[in-house]
This record gives sequence, structure tokens and C-alpha cells, in this order.
Amino acid sequence: MSRRIATTGSATALADALTAEYAAIWAYGPVGVRLSGAEREAAVEAEAAHRARRDALVVQLSTGGGSVPPDRPGYAMPFPVTDRASALRLAVQVEERTAAFWRATLPVSTGAERDRALAALVEYAVRATRWRRSAEITPLTVPFPGRPG
Amino acid sequence: MVLTCPVAMGRTTRQDVSSELSRRGLLRAGVLLALGGAAAPLAGCGLLDRDGQPPQPDPLAPLLNESLQLAAGLRATVDVHPDLADRLLPLAESHEAHAAELARLTGVATAPATPTVSPSGSPTAGPTDRSAAMAALRESERVGRESALQACAAAPAERVALLGSVAAARATHVEALR
Repeated sequence: MSRRIATTGSATALADALTAEYAAIWAYGPVGVRLSGAEREAAVEAEAAHRARRDALVVQLSTGGGSVPPDRPGYAMPFPVTDRASALRLAVQVEERTAAFWRATLPVSTGAERDRALAALVEYAVRATRWRRSAEITPLTVPFPGRPG
Repeated sequence: MVLTCPVAMGRTTRQDVSSELSRRGLLRAGVLLALGGAAAPLAGCGLLDRDGQPPQPDPLAPLLNESLQLAAGLRATVDVHPDLADRLLPLAESHEAHAAELARLTGVATAPATPTVSPSGSPTAGPTDRSAAMAALRESERVGRESALQACAAAPAERVALLGSVAAARATHVEALR
């Protein structure tokens, strides 16, 4: 595989991850307002993590000369968030989905870029497990975090 | 848009439960092959290894072995503390699923040729104190997470996604054992 193809694949995967981060940040809006106490704090912390990765991706893609996909005014949600239970379920899905997009960047990344992708995959998988515990979803884990079903 | 994609929550888990028996059988067969394989180089010594170079084990062989050890440690703890089965067996099944995938990736012939039970993961000598047992399992998962992270960082592109999932799974196990 030529270096150029690898770079293009990386840019595409990173652009997809950026779109996933936009959606995650957007989703934590309705999630956060349905939670309280420690769970709301966890949602704020999670949203901050997604914002940090979004910002890093925007910088990385724009300095690399790649196209930066724009954020959208809104994102379709898999189900309405009407209460704590649905907020927690959405939080689980958000983390598992974004983990999957970072996993998809692994085969097209090397060195420090791969380290960052791996850190994101692991962090979001662990966060999904924490949300599963809050939502009392069992089991708390999945066998292959980030793997497409 | 991104969020509307189907999420495979639970689906693989159900498959794992239904195929647990067959996979465990497969893994035992793999272990037997691996143990039997340890004797093969001795028998063939002088015939095939003329240049003195033993066949290189797959770099993922230790990780596969570790998956089996982690699963064995979890199952041994369930034997002592049956009330922990609901919490621990899904984790053991995940490790066994990892081992099956790693065996597929590396080929059975390159399965680890070392005993699969280490002193740290002995299925017969798990702590009888419940919290000590959980702490020991957590520490084993933490060590396992680090080795999977290292394997992922060093792996070729075609292996890195699976290894990323293995590392992430072990990290979630550390969290789930809190």
C-alpha cells in the first residue's frame, strides 16, 4: 500500500471520527439535562472529553490539508430522551458508537496517531461500562468494544 | 445520523452464551494441541532444525495464553464464590472469545507452547476471601490491559483493530470488577 493511499484512508477515518464526536457532543445536551448529581457530573466530564477530541481532530485534519467535515445543527437520535433511564441508555450508545469510530481509525494510523486512537477507544469503552452500571444494564461489558455488530 | 446506526449491544453476548460450550471445547482442544506441540520440537530435533533456529512463535501467542489464563482465573473464582457467577462469567466468556479470535488470527499451529496456568492465575488456588479474590482479578485484568495495549501499539495494521478491542475489553473488566 502506498503512503498516499494510507494517508487518504487515515483522513477519511479521522473525518468520520470527527463527525461521531460532533454527534456525541450534541447528544450529551439532552442526556445531561435528564441526569442529576454524580451522573450529571459524569455527563459533563464525558462531554468535555468528546469536545477535546473534536478540537484535536479539527486541528489535525486542517493542518494535514484534509477536508474538515462541518458540524450540523442537529443529529437524529435512536430514541427520544425523556427521562433518566433513556438518558443513560443514550449515553451508553454514544460511548459505544464513538469507540467504534476510533477503532476504525486504528488500521490506518501509526505511531502517536495510533496511540491516540487506542486511548480514545479504551476510554470510551470504559465510560460505556460506567454508564451501563448506572443504567443497571447487564452484563457491564461487551466482548469486543468498538467492533461492528 | 451517526447515532441512528444499529448498535450490537447484547447481541454478541447472547451468541457467546449459546456457543460457550462449543468454544470451551475448542479452547481445551487448542490447549491440548499447544501442550502436545511442546514435545514436537524435541522429537524433531536434528531433523528439521539444522540451522539451530527454532520456529518463531507468533508475537500474539503470549496474549492468547493470557486470555486463557484470565478466563481460568475468573472461572476458578466462580467455583469458590458461586454468587459472583453473574458478574464474572461474562468476563470469562469475553476472554475465551478473544482467545478464539486470536487463535484464528495466528493459526492453531502457533498457539502458545507453554502451560496455560501460571502461579498468578492458578484455577485451584484462588483467594477464598471475596474482596481479596476480586482485587486479585482486578489486578490481573490491569496487567492484561497493559500487555494488550503494548501488543496493539506494535501490531501490523491487519491485527490492530482486534487488539484494540481486546485492550478495551480488559480495561472495561478492570472497571466492572470495582
